[in-house]
Formats: sequence, C-alpha cells, structure tokens
Amino acid sequence: MKQIVDRLRQEAARLLAAGDVAMVIGYAKGTDVARTTPYFATNEEEAQNLTWNPFCTNNLVKYLLDFRFEDTKLAVVVKGCDSKGINRLIYDRQFPRERVVVLGVPCGGLLDRSKVLATIDPGAELQSVEDLGQEFVVRTDHGEFTFAKEQYLLPKCAVCRNPNPVISDVLLGEELPVAEEEKSDTFDDIVEMEALDPAAKSAFWDRHFNRCLRCYACRNVCPACNCRECAFEQAVPGWQQEACWLSKKASVDNNYTFHLIRMFDVTGRCIDCGECERVCPVNIPLRKLYRKVIKDVQELFGDTTPGLNIGDGLPLTSYRKEDPEEFM
Amino acid sequence: MPRIGVFVCWCGSNIGGVLDCPQLAREAASFPGVVYSVDYKYMCSEPGQNLIIEAIKEHRLDRVVVASCSPRLHEETFRKALARAGLNPYLLEMANLREHCSWVHAKEPEKAQVKAVDLVRRAVAKAALLQPLVSSQIPVTKRCLVIGGGIAGIQCALDIADAGHEVILVEREPTIGGNMVKLDKTFPTLDCSACISTPKMVAVASHPNIKLYTYAEVAEIGGYIGNFKVKIKQKARYVDHDKCTGCGTCWEKCPSKVPDDFNGGLGTRKAIYIPFPQAVPNKPVIDANHCRVFNNKKCRVCEKLCPTGAIDYEQQDTFIDEEVGAIVVATGYELFDWTKAYGEYGYGMYPDVITGLQFERLVNAAGPTGGKIKRPSDGKEPKTVVFVKCVGSRDEAKGKSYCSRVCCMYTAKHAHQLLEKVPDSQAYIFYMDVRTPGKGYEEFYQRTVQDGAIYVRGRVSKIYQSGDKLVVRGADTLLGRPVEVKADMVVLATAMQPAAGVETTARLVGAPVDQDGFIQEAHPKLRPVETHTAGVYVAGCCQGPKDIPDTVAQASGAAAKVVGLLSHSKMSTSAMISTVNEALCTGCMLCEPVCPYKAIEPKVITERLPGQPPRERTVAAVNSGLCQGCGCCNVACRPGAIQVKGFTNEQMLAEVDAICL
Ligand SMILES: Cc1cc2nc3c(=O)[nH]c(=O)nc-3n(C[C@H](O)[C@H](O)[C@H](O)COP(=O)(O)OP(=O)(O)OC[C@H]3O[C@@H](n4cnc5c(N)ncnc54)[C@H](O)[C@@H]3O)c2cc1C
Ligand code: SF4
Ligand code: SF4
Ligand code: SF4
Repeated sequence: MKQIVDRLRQEAARLLAAGDVAMVIGYAKGTDVARTTPYFATNEEEAQNLTWNPFCTNNLVKYLLDFRFEDTKLAVVVKGCDSKGINRLIYDRQFPRERVVVLGVPCGGLLDRSKVLATIDPGAELQSVEDLGQEFVVRTDHGEFTFAKEQYLLPKCAVCRNPNPVISDVLLGEELPVAEEEKSDTFDDIVEMEALDPAAKSAFWDRHFNRCLRCYACRNVCPACNCRECAFEQAVPGWQQEACWLSKKASVDNNYTFHLIRMFDVTGRCIDCGECERVCPVNIPLRKLYRKVIKDVQELFGDTTPGLNIGDGLPLTSYRKEDPEEFM
Repeated sequence: MPRIGVFVCWCGSNIGGVLDCPQLAREAASFPGVVYSVDYKYMCSEPGQNLIIEAIKEHRLDRVVVASCSPRLHEETFRKALARAGLNPYLLEMANLREHCSWVHAKEPEKAQVKAVDLVRRAVAKAALLQPLVSSQIPVTKRCLVIGGGIAGIQCALDIADAGHEVILVEREPTIGGNMVKLDKTFPTLDCSACISTPKMVAVASHPNIKLYTYAEVAEIGGYIGNFKVKIKQKARYVDHDKCTGCGTCWEKCPSKVPDDFNGGLGTRKAIYIPFPQAVPNKPVIDANHCRVFNNKKCRVCEKLCPTGAIDYEQQDTFIDEEVGAIVVATGYELFDWTKAYGEYGYGMYPDVITGLQFERLVNAAGPTGGKIKRPSDGKEPKTVVFVKCVGSRDEAKGKSYCSRVCCMYTAKHAHQLLEKVPDSQAYIFYMDVRTPGKGYEEFYQRTVQDGAIYVRGRVSKIYQSGDKLVVRGADTLLGRPVEVKADMVVLATAMQPAAGVETTARLVGAPVDQDGFIQEAHPKLRPVETHTAGVYVAGCCQGPKDIPDTVAQASGAAAKVVGLLSHSKMSTSAMISTVNEALCTGCMLCEPVCPYKAIEPKVITERLPGQPPRERTVAAVNSGLCQGCGCCNVACRPGAIQVKGFTNEQMLAEVDAICL
C-alpha cells in the first residue's frame, strides 16, 4: 500500500509539474482514522497530501463534471468500481476522454468504517496500512490492528468483480488476480428479494421510501445521473405543483415516483458502484433497486454491467434483431 | 383562461345509437374552460363544419374539441375547418367516441356513457394546454428514384417521367423487366407477356426523362423527403457499354456454360450474356463467378472477338451520387424456396417437380424448349400433369400464412395451356380453395374447368418417383377419399415472398416491413402506396403479392403521389414534430440512435451565461424534414429535453389527470 501511495504522489507531482494536468482529484487524510476526504491537488506540494488506503470509499469521478466546460486536463484517482464511471461519462458525452488522465488503483477492497471504528479509537492517527491479501494490517499511534477481509470488508467489496480499473492511463500497482468464478454476478441479494411476495415487497419499500428525505445525495453522487437540470427540480407550471408526479414533496408516493424514475433512468446505465447507497443518510438500500434492473437487463439482452467498455451500446437505446419481443 | 368549444358528433347511429350525445354536450359545458358545447348528427358534413366555424366566430373560441371518430379519419377535416375560421389548426383536440367507445361498448350503453364523459374531459384538459403550431418549409428536389425495374418500377418511372419529372431507375439485374418478362401469357386475357412488357421497357430506355442504371444497387440513402441523397453502386459489367453495340459475337463464342437463372435453371447461358433476347439494355455483362478469366483460366475469347474492343476485365464497381425528392420502392418478389421446406415433395430431388415460373419458361416460345412443353428429366412431353396449389402459401407450419393471390389464376392458366398444347393431356389441380376475385377471373377459371381440367379439393401429402412416373398422393376432401395420380410432371404453385434483400432496401429508405417481410404501407386502405417515411412510396409485389393489373394500378398510384409531391418547389413539414429544449439537453445523444428516421444530429451551440466566458457545448438538433413525430426520442431523453409538439409532458399529464383523478 505504501508503494501505491508513493507512486501516486510521484505521478501526481510529475503530471502537475509538467503542466500535463491542471488538477489531480484524489484522496487525502480525513477527519478521523477511518475516513479520507476528496482532495484536489493543483501543485506539486499538494500532491504530497494525496493518499491511498482502504478508507478511500468515495467515487471521485463525478467531480469531473464540475470542470466539464473548462478546457484543462484533469487527473482522477479511481478504483475498479469507480473506473466504470469514467466510461459512463465518456459514453454519455459528459466528459471527453482526451481531457482526463485516469490514475487507476487495483483495489483490494474497502474496510467497513463502522466496524473498524468499533475497534479503533476514531481519534487515533493512521500511520500505514498493509494489504496482506486475506487481511489488512492497520498501524496507528494507538497500536496495530488486523482486520480480516472476510469480516470487515464493505458488502459491495466482498462480492466485487472488478478490483482492477477497467480504464486507466497509469496503473498505480500490480493488477490483482480475479478468480474465474468471481467474474460473473450471481445477484443473490436480488434473487432473495424477488422471492418475496408482492405484499412483503411493497411493505419493504414502503418502509424505506417513507424515510427518504429527498436530499438528492444519491442523485448527486451518481455518475449516471448527469442531467443538466434534474426533472425533479425543473420549474413546473403552477397547476403541476400540487398534482404533479414530479413533485418535490417528501411523501411515500412522491418518493416512490422519484426513486422509480431514477431507477428507470439508470436502467442499462448504472455501473453498480454503490455510491448512492453509501451516501444515503437514512440507509435506503438503493442498490437493490438498480441491481434488480441490471439483472433484468442482463436476462433480457444478455448485457454485462454497464461501464465495462466505453463502446457498449446501451441496451435500451440500441436495437438488435435478436432482442426479445415478447410483448409484440 | 382558454375559451374551449366542445362539439359532440352522433355519427348517425354509430355514436348516437349508443351514447346520449345531448347529455354529453351538457356535461361538457361544466368542464373548466368550456364556454360552448353542442351536439350534431354529422360533424364532418358541410353543415357540421359550418356549425364549428360559426361557433368559433360567435363565441370567440380559441380551442376546439371535437368528440367524434378516430383522429386518423377526420383530424385533417376539422383542422381545415379551424383554419377556415381563422384559428390555428393545431388548436384542435379530438375525443374518439366511436372506435374507443360506442363501437366497442355497444352492449353496455350506461357504462359507455360514463367512459365517454371521461374521454371528453380528457380532451378538454389537453385542449386547454394546446399551443398554436406552425410547420416549416423545405425545398423539394424535383427528381424521383425508383428502386426495382419490374413492371411496377417501369410503369411508375414512365408515369412520373411523362409528367415531366426526372426519374432515376435502379435495377440490380442486367436487364429491366423483372418477373413479368419471364411469363408466357398472362391471365385472364392470355395476351403475350413479352409483347405487352417489352415496348414499355424500350420506352424506359429511350425516355429523355429517365436515367436508367441496370446491374446497379442503391448503396446509401441520406436526407429526407424532398431532399434525399442517394449513392448508387454500379456493379462492374466488364463490358464497356459505351463501346458495345450488342452484336452478340461474344456470347455466341463464350465457352463457359452456366445454368440459366432467367429460365429457372432449365437450360444454360454463357458467362458473358444478356438474360433474354429483348433485354434492355441489349448489351451483355460478364458473370465474374463463371468467367474463366476471373477463375484464373486461359480464355479472353470475348476480348479477342469483340469488334469494338468493349471488353474490359479490369472494370471496377463505381459509385454515383444522385439527389432526389422522392423514392419509390418496387423491388418485387421471388418464389418461396419449397425445396427446403417440403420433404414430402422430395426436397427438389425429382427433376420433374417444378415451379410455376419454370412452367412459364417451358411454355414460352423464347424459353429453353422453344415453347414445347417437355419435362426436364428426359425431354418427353408430359401427358399427365399435376398442379399443386398453395405450396408455402396458407401454410403457416412450413411457409407463409398469407395467400399469394396469383396462384389460383396462373394455375388455371397453366392447366389451360397444357390442355391446349399437349394432345390427350390431363391436368389435375389439387387445391384448397379457388379464389378468383377480379374482372374476368371467374370466367377464366370456368373455361379451364370446361377445357377438362380436373380440380381435386385437398392437399397433396406425398410425391415420389416410381419408374418414370411421379406418384402424387393426396386426399379428395369433398369425396372424403384418398387420391393417387401417376403423373409425368408436377407443377408447384409456390408462395410469393419479397425479393431477397428487401430488409436492406427497407433499412436504406427507413420504411418498416411487416411480419412477412413485405414493405409496410402507411395505411392498408387509405394510404396504400405511401410508407411510414415521408417521401418514400411503394409499388408492386414488394408491398404484398399481387397480379399485374394490381401492380400496374399501384405503380400509377405511387406515381401520382410522387408527381403530387414534385409539383411543388417547396413543401411544408409536419408541425407536430420533436423539438429540443437546449437549456436542458445534456448532449448525451441517446436520442440519436433511437430515432427510426435518423432525424437527430448533434449540433454545437455557444452558450452565454452572465459573468462567464461564452462556452460551446453539444446539443441535439431535430431535422424538421425527417422527424415524423413518433416520440421515440422523448422516451430516451432523461432530462425531458426533447418533446413532440402537440404531445408535451404537460399535455399528456393533464390528460392522465383528467381521466384518473
Ligand atoms: C408463375 C407465375 C405466373 C404469373 N402469371 C401472371 C399472369 O398471368 N397475370 C398476371 O397478372 N400476373 C401474373 N403473375 C404475377 C406477376 O408476375 C407479378 O404481378 C408482377 O411481375 C409483379 O411485378 P413487380 O414489378 O412488382 O415485381 P418483379 O417483377 O419481381 O420486379 C421487381 C424488380 O426489382 C428488381 N429488384 C429487386 N430488388 C432490387 C434491389 N434491391 N435493387 C434494385 N432492383 C431490385 C428485380 O430484379 C426485379 O427486376 C404471375 C406470377 C407467377 C409467379
Ligand atoms: S445508481 Fe448508484 S450504483 Fe448505479 S451508478 Fe449511480 S451511484 Fe453508482
Ligand atoms: S436524449 Fe435528451 S439530453 Fe440527450 S441529446 Fe437527446 S435531447 Fe439532449
Ligand atoms: S419524434 Fe424523435 S424519434 Fe421520432 S422521428 Fe422525431 S426526432 Fe425521431
């Protein structure tokens, strides 16, 4: 892990010094031991603040959009899961490939912050982390801790199929081996949900959508949600304010509409980075929604998870003669 | 607040017999925005339309709802009425009380009445949000492309050219004429097919307004109605037609013999050939697949013998660009390949089981037997011939579900020709039905019956060779007993299907095909020669099986449509087309691939925001000439930036609310 951090700082400094990029978007030390913060390095000195460890959860790709109308080049640090977001933005024509230098990190998984904090004092100072394959060794000024991956990884990382970036200009470490059986998704979580009877499903989502605050954090973080103006925030004519299905009101039915529309909009486009679920302040299991449609699209059109290639046509906007037409 | 008028039509008893129209009109008066409502017997009639016009003036109506039949039928009628009253024609909304209500719910009038009220409320809610729309003007290139030079394409090209417009006729074979020139005589009048078609072929070749490309294909089509850009691929003929005089020395001396597809594989032709003596153009092409030179063998006989030096083995395919305003698809048909589907008839193993088109060549004086009916296996004159109808037609399991329309008639013709030409012959015809709708057709069939043709109602279940006879087994379903005929030859009336490559042509012109692969007409009754793509028309058997009279009629119909289009130098486009809200458009261009009419392109705009330097970004742009207002793009657009005018989200939601809330 130390090597990756060194390579990262070196590479970032080099890019910035040479004027190849105007900014490197990466991670820096966060407010507690198990946190990092997105960091925007614009010079060689700042590049030394960049870091990499199993607490680098944020998908930084979306920040590119803040700079979409400038003509400068940017570098961004991505893990395997985040890297699909780069392809999303390129395919959606939201960010040109030429303007981004992708610093890819082969990622051994992220640690679940809440579990880690149950063991380490949040105030402790993080000194270094070592990836031993099956476990992480975390050294702090409060001592050394070992976290078995099996127990401590984030759920999404436990079943990760793309630890290596699918797109990168500079790979900051050795590619990690992926076992053949790990390459395809079995959707166990979705199969389980599908087995519920409609009433139970409805109760499940009622309970969750009831709590949605309409903070739009899921939308804001999502690389697939890249509209200029969200349909839920467009000025609507007077008569629509009350009755409109695109109401901003946080009530169960309106929240359903919001989440289902978002679900349809990311159908065939969601890269399954899981950021939406992570940022949700009330812990709505959003990934279940989108993974359900990923599964459906895969079954219908045989496509893989979107974002693995830039060139992947979107299943819902491309036509192939073999496409199923059972509704005709 | 809009001033809406509601006009409820009885449609005689069609609507009035089920629904209480006066009550509907009274109820409609209470809907928000409605200032006038009335019912009338026939709203589409002259007095009905005048009633609308008068009411618009008297009550200062600015939106009109007509509750009557399907907008497909009378939307145009009422739009024109609005225009006559000085109102923008798009301020009209229709409620379909007939097809959507009175016809389907005739048995439950009370419930129908409730639904009718909802339908009218829906229309009123949408009408309140209607905006005046205007159509734009696009220039028209006064030339037409006709694809396919069968009798359909020939007739169409001649009609358009005679009206004074230039025609580009593209035929993929070395000659025009299509299937008709292969026929011997044509039912029901038995006039000689070549005698009536070759003069038309010559007329095409010599017409000053027709540019003929044979042995050519359409490679690309871009643009839109009035402004198509076409790329034509002229396949290499290896004969310079400017030098060639058509003297015939080459094909007489060419040593390479090839089965003759023009004659249905009966007989042979040379590697350098004209398909038949009256071919237009009457100059040969080299079939590179069979020419010795192209197969690395010594030869070059034609080159040596050609008196004008026209042979050019180095010739390449060339591409020609043409601009046209209209396109007619007339690519015709081919016969269903029965040999792949009908094992019980021998999968094509028995040489004396032939198709109707092969029979045409056998009786044709210009055919491989000089017009003598001789069976292919041993050249003997067949005395007993069995004709089997509906091979591949009306047989969903093995072939097509549809009826090919011409087989009943040409089989009667073939039986008649056999009985006439071969003394003491017998014709057995196995049939499911005899269908003879057409002028003089039933009489023609009866004549064949009187000639002595034996019609057996039933399918043939097996054909097999026994000695030099073909044993045909079937059932006579009228007498309810099995039948067995020992025949010398069997003629199968195989189904007609769209000519190979129709999907490619359909894709090029952007017209959909139906489930059987025929080009889909825009409306089976009211727009039979138009397709769903504006400026693209259809004629002949590529639209569906038909005989020559119908083909020619349809071709002239398509020509009339083309001439109508080309008679204006500018045309107005539909007003109800897609439009992009550039502020919302993210430029993702996902709308582009879903548009079936290729109407969307990226365009770069310069955006000026206060306090920021001007910046460029890509947005979608809709070509008003191409867009048909289908709405596919609306669905693909996440931010809702692209919407069809007259079907905006706002309007649709108002309708949904009016019905559901
Ligand atoms: C056995 C038989 C007997 C018949 N007898 C009679 C009869 O007696 N009386 C009667 O009224 N009808 C008869 N018919 C029906 C008649 O043949 C058709 O009605 C008529 O030929 C249809 O003409 P068409 O121009 O639509 O098609 P076609 O004759 O098939 O012409 C289509 C032309 O388009 C060309 N083409 C195809 N694709 C392309 C392409 N992609 N690019 C360029 N060119 C292309 C083809 O080469 C062809 O020249 C008979 C049919 C059969 C099968
Ligand atoms: S929907 Fe969620 S998982 Fe999918 S791309 Fe967006 S943020 Fe990632
Ligand atoms: S789909 Fe919508 S946002 Fe995307 S280019 Fe088309 S109009 Fe613009
Ligand atoms: S409505 Fe949209 S998809 Fe349909 S033709 Fe017009 S631009 Fe194309």
